[in-house]
Amino acid sequence: MLLQVLQDALFAAIAAVGFAAISNPPKKAYLLCALIAAAGHSSRYLLMNSSLFDIHIVSASAIAAFIVGTLAVLLSPYGKMPAETCLFPSLLPMIPGIYAYKAFGGLMMCLSHGVENEFNHYFYLFAGNGLTCIFILLAMTVGGTLPIFFFKNISFQATR
Amino acid sequence: MSAINQSIYANAGVRECEYREKSSIKEICLFLAEYSAWLLGSGATSIRLERNVHRMAKAMGCMAEMTILPRHIHITVCRTDHTDIYTYIIATHPMPISFDINTRLSRLSWKMADDHLTLTDAKKQFEEIIHTPPTSQHAVLFLASLANAAFCRLFTGDWAAVGVVFISTLIGFYLKQLLTHLKVDTRLIFIICAFISSVVASSACLFSFGHTPDVAVGTSVLYLVPGIPFLNSFSDMLNGHYICAFGRFVHAAILTCCLSLGLCGGMLVMNLSMF
Repeated sequence: MLLQVLQDALFAAIAAVGFAAISNPPKKAYLLCALIAAAGHSSRYLLMNSSLFDIHIVSASAIAAFIVGTLAVLLSPYGKMPAETCLFPSLLPMIPGIYAYKAFGGLMMCLSHGVENEFNHYFYLFAGNGLTCIFILLAMTVGGTLPIFFFKNISFQATR
Repeated sequence: MSAINQSIYANAGVRECEYREKSSIKEICLFLAEYSAWLLGSGATSIRLERNVHRMAKAMGCMAEMTILPRHIHITVCRTDHTDIYTYIIATHPMPISFDINTRLSRLSWKMADDHLTLTDAKKQFEEIIHTPPTSQHAVLFLASLANAAFCRLFTGDWAAVGVVFISTLIGFYLKQLLTHLKVDTRLIFIICAFISSVVASSACLFSFGHTPDVAVGTSVLYLVPGIPFLNSFSDMLNGHYICAFGRFVHAAILTCCLSLGLCGGMLVMNLSMF
């Protein structure tokens, strides 16, 4: 289990650095993004897959995003950058992209299948994936943003 | 009221006199509007934009109020005694998300508040910031491909799938950079890149590379998922900026639909099924 968690942390760090590069962060942010994403994503992996917790992806994403948010707020003043600069790229590996496009795929299949049973099946896939996607996003944003408000003095003065 | 706000208010009167002599309210408003257009364009959340602009306005002895819309900002700046008021509507600056510019513009707002920068100096620094060169395109291409390949591994793809995703992302992302340079419509870019990436990744299924070709196809387009706009939209929603939140969400949802269209097209051509 430990090896899997470490592997998850490593690949999440690589993913965060790569996706962060697309949004042109300051150079100092890369290392912080890698560390924070590794901590956040591996926590989610542990929460979802460990027999001790076995939590649903939505709740696990909220808790992991809270960890990411707290670390981003506490570490961003060291690089003199807004918390979002570390927070958002670190959350990117947790974005439910597969749920998002599967929801759209389900919708497309609904349109091309008129028979009730088939339509219901694809509508179920559309609704299931769509709802999961929206709730993961909501949980992630709430979890990630709460620390910014809990530590307002730190987060809005990080660039001072 | 925090100590910082108190000190800002205490200095506001003195600075107002200085700014009244040196800068007209019109100049201040136009500068703050331009600043807002760039900050929102660089991918800042609405709450950060509001706080930065309020901070800068107070530092210049003024008050500023804004309506933040997805593509426009309506800003009104007035003297603290309401003797002089100026309103301006500016379109947000269309640009790729840049946390570097976001960070440096946020620092500028604190410099104005703490170091008492004059408007002329602030304008000079602002000009320098907006000309910040973006990260090297080649570096971004390589890192994004590596990131998507790592993503494939996170979704339990085997090493063959990781390799296929790296190559499909490299091709798709290069095409995205090329088409963006040619100023092709963003939605069309998303459809084309998702189509090409999914077709290339489908080779894992076609030639039976590894044991998880379905993961390769599924993750090959994830570099296109508009993660930052999604996060910004939910962040704005939590802060009560519902119109801006809705606008950003719709924009992100449209881009997701476009990438799904491209993916569906690619899978259809390669005779694969999503479910």
